[in-house]
Amino acid sequence: MRWFRADLHIHSVLSPCASLAMSPRRIVAEARRAGLDLIAVCDHNAGENGRYVRRLAGGTPAVLMGMEIQTEEEVELLAYFADEESCILLQEELYQYLPDIPCRPDLFGDQLVVNAEDEIVRQVPHLLLAPVALPLAEVVRRVELVGGLAIPAHVDRVPGGLLAVLGLFPEGEWPWAVEIAPWTSLAAAWAAWPALRGRPIFRASDAHIPEEIGRAWTELLLAEPSLAELRAAVRGEEGRAVRPGPEAKEDG
Amino acid sequence: MTIQAIVEELGLEALVAADLAREVRGGYCSDLLSDVLAHAKAGDLWITHQRHLNVVAVAKLRELSGVICVRGLAPGPDVISRAADEKINLLLTSEDAFEVAGRLHRLLHP
Repeated sequence: MRWFRADLHIHSVLSPCASLAMSPRRIVAEARRAGLDLIAVCDHNAGENGRYVRRLAGGTPAVLMGMEIQTEEEVELLAYFADEESCILLQEELYQYLPDIPCRPDLFGDQLVVNAEDEIVRQVPHLLLAPVALPLAEVVRRVELVGGLAIPAHVDRVPGGLLAVLGLFPEGEWPWAVEIAPWTSLAAAWAAWPALRGRPIFRASDAHIPEEIGRAWTELLLAEPSLAELRAAVRGEEGRAVRPGPEAKEDG
Repeated sequence: MTIQAIVEELGLEALVAADLAREVRGGYCSDLLSDVLAHAKAGDLWITHQRHLNVVAVAKLRELSGVICVRGLAPGPDVISRAADEKINLLLTSEDAFEVAGRLHRLLHP
């Protein structure tokens, strides 16, 4: 086993709020620049561009398929998948639960599927930056049903953070781990939310522009950079471990 | 003013009528539960779009006089049964939050 440097929350040009420069090619280049071993592209309620990032990277860095799903409560969840099929399967399901709001690029930004050659494959017409009409517990159930792992994103942050929106963790064992905002220190997070203690904490860049990739990360002690190993680390199995990197400087 | 009187005046549906004799101190409008935890006061009647199970926990923790779910967004059976267990008044209206908050404000501050 060794420590892997992971940035598991990166947006691509498929997210309307992300820069047009966030093509799969640029994401791979910036991830390499930042010395990342493992990344995940988590667009809002969509996973399509992860396929191209994954193919381009060829294992350097390793790429997990992912999505950032917004639930009915407006809680944002990072979902990671072992393979492209399960991710795209869930994406197609979620698309049916999104409100029928057309994405006006002049207001919201572009939602582009861009391939490994930097070519636009298509434009997603319905707005992705919206909650699906499914409650949190149901979204988690569906992620796990296809073998995925769901971790609440930037739990301390408004908008979208689980603790900010729902005030408390829901009942039960989930979430096994949480992500905190890139700029929240561990001490501040624990002080504000004592319930965070005892759960593995992730930090990631939540990058929307290329320069932000790798500005925050998590170190993972794993045998290999895979979803199975990530899950084992989250559960603290057989010496696997999760260690958040230092907080990034707050933007804006 | 009691919850009972407010239910009648505003034509609310009582999904859980746990304690309709409870006095209402004021109102609080928010869909961020962390905000309600931090700023709502005991006795407030809480107006919200949220219908997650944590709504009951937050209402209990803050000793709110009740919860009004707006725009016909009825919570599920798990929330209703938990509210009954925790003796939280759970009310429903088809009106939107602005409308019901305005009418409640007029009742409480005539």
